[in-house]
Amino acid sequence: MATAARPPSLRLGQQDLKCRRGCGYYGTPQNDGLCSKCFRDRNDKQRKMLKAGDMQPIIGGSSHGPASFSAGGTLERRSPQHFLVRDTPKKQVDKEPDTTSMLQKKKFTAVLQKTLQAGAQKIAQQRGYVPDPTESQFVKQLQKLRIPDDGKRKLKSEIQRLDNEIRKYMNSHSSKNIDELSDTVQNTYTKVADIVHNDPRFEIATNEDRESAIDFFEKVVMTQNHKFLFSPYFTTDEESDMMVQKRIRQLSWITSKHLDCSIDEVNAEARDLVYNAISELVGIDSYYSPQEKLQCTVRCCRHIFDLLKRATGGPASADDFLPALIFVVLKANPVRLHSNINFVTRFTNASRVMSGEGGYYFTNLCSAIAFIENLNGESLGISKEEFDALMQPDAGLQSFSSPWESALMACESLHLISENMKQMEKLQRKNADISSGIASFEKELIEFQREVTERVDTVMAKAPLTLLPIKTPAFLIGQARSQLLQDMHEGEAGHYQANVLSGSQSLTVHSGMVKTAVAAEESGLALKDTSISSIGRLSPLPNLQQPDNLFASPIFNYAAFDAVSLLEEPSSGGCVDVLMLGAELQGGLTNINYDFDLSDQSGENSTAEESKLNLDEFDPLAQPQPQPCGAPAAVEPETSLINTTTDSLIDSDVPGTCVSLPSPLKPEVANYRGFSNFEIPSISCNTGDFSSLGHDVGTTEKPK
Amino acid sequence: MSSRRSRSGPTLNFKAVLLGEGCVGKTSLVLRYMEDKFNPQHLSTLQASFVTKKVTLPDERRAQLNIWDTAGQERFHALGPIYYRGSDGALLVYDITDQDSFQKVKSWVRELKQMRGTEISLIIVGNKTDLEEQRAIGYEDARQYAQTVGAQYLEASAKENEGVAEIFELLTQLMLERLSQRERDAEPPNLLRLDASDAVSVSEGEEGNDTDDTGTGQRSCCGI
Repeated sequence: MATAARPPSLRLGQQDLKCRRGCGYYGTPQNDGLCSKCFRDRNDKQRKMLKAGDMQPIIGGSSHGPASFSAGGTLERRSPQHFLVRDTPKKQVDKEPDTTSMLQKKKFTAVLQKTLQAGAQKIAQQRGYVPDPTESQFVKQLQKLRIPDDGKRKLKSEIQRLDNEIRKYMNSHSSKNIDELSDTVQNTYTKVADIVHNDPRFEIATNEDRESAIDFFEKVVMTQNHKFLFSPYFTTDEESDMMVQKRIRQLSWITSKHLDCSIDEVNAEARDLVYNAISELVGIDSYYSPQEKLQCTVRCCRHIFDLLKRATGGPASADDFLPALIFVVLKANPVRLHSNINFVTRFTNASRVMSGEGGYYFTNLCSAIAFIENLNGESLGISKEEFDALMQPDAGLQSFSSPWESALMACESLHLISENMKQMEKLQRKNADISSGIASFEKELIEFQREVTERVDTVMAKAPLTLLPIKTPAFLIGQARSQLLQDMHEGEAGHYQANVLSGSQSLTVHSGMVKTAVAAEESGLALKDTSISSIGRLSPLPNLQQPDNLFASPIFNYAAFDAVSLLEEPSSGGCVDVLMLGAELQGGLTNINYDFDLSDQSGENSTAEESKLNLDEFDPLAQPQPQPCGAPAAVEPETSLINTTTDSLIDSDVPGTCVSLPSPLKPEVANYRGFSNFEIPSISCNTGDFSSLGHDVGTTEKPK
Repeated sequence: MSSRRSRSGPTLNFKAVLLGEGCVGKTSLVLRYMEDKFNPQHLSTLQASFVTKKVTLPDERRAQLNIWDTAGQERFHALGPIYYRGSDGALLVYDITDQDSFQKVKSWVRELKQMRGTEISLIIVGNKTDLEEQRAIGYEDARQYAQTVGAQYLEASAKENEGVAEIFELLTQLMLERLSQRERDAEPPNLLRLDASDAVSVSEGEEGNDTDDTGTGQRSCCGI
């Protein structure tokens, strides 16, 4: 009984199988949900307790259920009327078993949760009149109905009258006819409907309230009398139940293909919906009133429509729906099918099954059952022989044992696999997408990089042209000047002046210190120098602006090299190129500027610079070693002084020189480069270590 | 059908069954009427087998039209009577390009007549007039057949939305007439039906000439 009345579900949890005592062993429904040991224990205990007591009937009632149901297994539950068969004659006396068995059942229905405890106690005390916990619930519901109180009273009296009528009929008649009873009930429904709609006591109620009053009437009467009216002993309902159940079991080989319906048996989603529909269908049996049974049917059918909508894409017509419903009925094999159908047909308000959604679906359910009962090979689209072969108990149950179940259970893993495969495929595709995305991104990146470098190159190719001109190695100038000044002042540097003025003089001065070859070259240069000396004079001045910067940048040496090489010659060595690039990248524009200034200067003011450079170069060489170190220190203050004074001049000069810079240089610079190269070491010499190196380079180059 | 609350219930409930072989366009007709759509892909309804539509009758009463679709496949033919129970009207749909579907209509008409007698209003509908060039059953043939069985005949095209609303309007009208006739019958109790039918004049002019060639014996009213 317990299993029968529980809300239906197709999947049993582990919990349901375990002994109810929680001992860890598995229980069986036969033992009332207990394992064999606990069951025996309990029985012993009860027997002892009952030896004295008069509770015998209760035990009879409660153990009846499980015992009789176990006989046919859960699927072949028998109607409670079987107890009635025995009990009816002396109904008042045996009231107790009925109510207790009813109670057992109701414990599990949601409707009756409330006041169950209180109700049960009350029943225990007053056992005379309709001891039913539902009663109080119904009283409450009645109070909630929005109809006038007079109407409620009338309704209640009608309920009681019909109730009594049914009971009287069940008790008194020796030969009973269910149709008679059904007519009685239907006539009462009509009467009540008439009262509710036309009686002045209901006048102020709205239509909805009247309808709900009628519904309420039906529900109360039917729930109260369910035990008498559901599958009564004087009908053949139960035999029909058994027959259709057996029939459906024989037809378990039918698949959706036979029925030509669009249910995809192997689709997991569809299967879930089928399960939903099945559990609703099975659940019909667990409700008491016809309305609830109908609602359950409606829910079942909605699931089917949901299913069909997914399968076909559009709203399903009856052509699709009926086969699907038949399929669901076949797979659900609901218990007490005919009893339920007949109960609803006989005792619900006839208009309910004749119209409305519930009526339509119920009618479809009826026709599905009719179809199943009259099924033959022709209606399944198979030959008679094949049909007969499939209907053989052996063939049907063994070789073809329920393809539905096997499809569900045996192949479930396969479906899972296929589903997982699909998932994997999806993932794989995603993965491929990602990796291709990565590749393309990488390509893009490279492209981007290339583009950037290209652009940078072009910019760089352009940039040199716009670079600011004329930066003198101002300190050189300063040096030179200081030297000159020194010379002037000290009189030591007589040879410098001589150099500027006339080659011969310089020659003579230098020859003393340097080799003759060098001296010869110098003399040539000196000649040139003198020719441009006038310009040379000019140039150093503007450049005075820069010395601070120059001194500030540590890469000055390199920068100088680079600038020179960039501007002028391919002839300069590979190593120089490398140096140049490095310097450019590292130093940035400012450096480059300076560099160019240098080179420019050397180019533009080639002669002037040259002369100075010459002077400069020669100085360290010509002069004894200690000189260079001392010189810069002396120069600095001076240059700074000069800077401040000459700023304006420089500014005005710069643009002019800038424009004229590049072109004239080229031919000459080659020559001068040597000097500039030469000159740089002198700078480094100023800063320190490199001086000696620079000198060496300078000297080695010179002979060429 | 004593349970019908015709007098006091403000909304009348009419039940009509929809019969027709598969693919004759039963569902399309209903959907066209309900939602004015032809392509089922665009429909918001979950299902098209049970539909209700509220209509306002000429006399200001409200009525609810319940249309029950039935499965048209041959294998379910025998289940028809389960659906006919308590129905007030029936739409028998066939495809004018399909002779077989017309023969099926004939068999349904026989069944309905046998089971529901004169309590049911019949309308035979030739669907798919948009396929006029493939027509297999002439309009006159069908109309004459309908007359012989006391049914109305209409043609429609669910696809082109031609004559669809008319079908349901006529159906409602017929069922209403039958209902009021029944009420009139009921008011003077024990009045013989046949006498009553003679006494009642045909209220609607449109179907005045139908009465004479009805084959079935028991006629109620309204010339159907």
